[in-house]
Amino acid sequence: MPRQPKSRLGRKYLTSAALALFLAAGLAAPVPARADVDDWPMLHAAVFHNRDIIEGDGVVILDAPAQADDGALVPITVRVPPEVKGPLKSLTIVLDKNPVPVVAQLHFGPAAGEGGERRFSTRIRVDSFSHIRAVVETADGKLHMTKGFIAAAGGCAAMNAKDPTAEAEGMGKMIVKTFPPALDTTPIWQGQVMLKHPNFSGYQINPNTGELIEARFLEKMVVKRDGELVFTLDGTPSISANPNFRFTFGRGEHNDLDVTMTDTDGTVFQAQSKPSGS
Amino acid sequence: MSNRYSDNAGPFPVTRADVLRGLTALAALPLLRALPVRAEVSASGDAPEMAVEEIAPGVFVHHGRYELQSPENLGDMANTAFIVGDDAVAVIDTSGTAIAGEAFRKRLREVTDKPIRYVINTHMHPDHVFGNAAFKQDNPEFVAHKNMKAGLSVRAETYLASSERMMGKEAMKGTEVILPTREIAEKETLDLGNRTLVLEPQQTAHTNNDLIITDEKTGTLFLGDLLFSRHIPTLDGSILGWLDLIEKFQDRKATRVVSGHGPISMTMPSSLDDEQRYWTVVADDIRKTIAENGTLEQAVKTAGYSEKDKWKLFDVYHRRNVTAAFAELEWE
Repeated sequence: MPRQPKSRLGRKYLTSAALALFLAAGLAAPVPARADVDDWPMLHAAVFHNRDIIEGDGVVILDAPAQADDGALVPITVRVPPEVKGPLKSLTIVLDKNPVPVVAQLHFGPAAGEGGERRFSTRIRVDSFSHIRAVVETADGKLHMTKGFIAAAGGCAAMNAKDPTAEAEGMGKMIVKTFPPALDTTPIWQGQVMLKHPNFSGYQINPNTGELIEARFLEKMVVKRDGELVFTLDGTPSISANPNFRFTFGRGEHNDLDVTMTDTDGTVFQAQSKPSGS
Repeated sequence: MSNRYSDNAGPFPVTRADVLRGLTALAALPLLRALPVRAEVSASGDAPEMAVEEIAPGVFVHHGRYELQSPENLGDMANTAFIVGDDAVAVIDTSGTAIAGEAFRKRLREVTDKPIRYVINTHMHPDHVFGNAAFKQDNPEFVAHKNMKAGLSVRAETYLASSERMMGKEAMKGTEVILPTREIAEKETLDLGNRTLVLEPQQTAHTNNDLIITDEKTGTLFLGDLLFSRHIPTLDGSILGWLDLIEKFQDRKATRVVSGHGPISMTMPSSLDDEQRYWTVVADDIRKTIAENGTLEQAVKTAGYSEKDKWKLFDVYHRRNVTAAFAELEWE
């Protein structure tokens, strides 16, 4: 695979399209996240341009552990209950106190599906006790938010690789699965994408050199069903190593998923699900 | 300040990570899971007793407590040992603070005044290495698995911060990270004078730097944290590697075996039965969840709970064990 010459970490951050969201708004400067400071007004401005956000109206539900077992690997699930009708435009997950507060942003396409509970799950790094927020944009352009609080720490600096040698060997391995619903007529299917990738946060230390490992993380993911867009995802190093996503999508003719992932080094990873839920 | 390992500290790029790092005192690491915030509490005064028992001629072992770090126990959680030869002494693990290490050294000095030539660490976890500083005065060789230096270096800051959070500043007085000066890459022996220790580095299991030691004279085997008994095992390496290693240990002969956490004198290989059963149950339950397209969250709530009443500290470490094991097994 062609590798870019090593650029400095800082530049990598600044040039990352995924992070442009808040960097553009001036958050690239060293903004101290203090435990006693409410970061939300700043994030609301930077990420959502101070648009009105409806909080706690039941459009979006967030499942996150109050106490994480491992700060480097915290499972979270965002759900939009079946009572919420119509397509969704986007989903943004924000962790107020993380060095990179925007965890991921999804933009949904025509194959995202509706007519049942819509879900998105992943695993994230939590560096500090923090609020976590899921903000969904509905088709009418309204923003809906729910928030929770996670007690965990050390996720962004923690070396995820318990065995760095073994970890390096499987890099790039990718698994895409689909799970058909129990009833053929159910309009919502489930999919899963797994990628073996360290998703280096830029805060981890290389044990052999003692220097920080350059950030290298999943920047973009495009998920299509039978050629139609389910969603695009802009990723950040706040997603755990070996990125893992579970999500719903709309039933189609074949329900084959086609997934393309690109990391900040420009390496492209591609895989398809096998037909019909294997 | 002596309790800061800062060789690796480098300038940070953008963002506020450096500030966050300062604020973030908790570590999410197996033997350090921080529950209560105890930084305000100061150590309750007296150093732990660090009593030792001579389990075989010249082999002295201290029985660590089945507890989390606290200002009261000063990090005395792991079993520690020393072995006396004709010419010199070897220490195996040093407990979780310089104060506990010093108390342990005092016990040692009540037994023998021979030079302490080696301080061996069975792996990188703080409850086994943070007492090393107490032995600096003896100018020993610090001996460990070849992977330990790297593993401990990258975690040093987190280990120090979380230990301080759990035990308080006072308890951490004098504690520093001391990296190995002699690295074991393959089977090697150390001579204590008419007494040979055999050191064998192991594959990734409890961690990626587990070292086991045999005192040939008495047939005493030190498995470090490859053997947990009563105290729930904790996973910071590979569940598959660990199960494989337990299998390999079945044929190993030893007169007695010393656990890292658990009774200080047990028999081989039956002492491994409980942890073998635990990891087998955990792996089987997780595989079942994966086969049914279940998630990590589901596994954490269901896998391995038949083991609940069989272990001390189950509620503290089990969920994290399942999390780590799931992340490994889902790639099978």
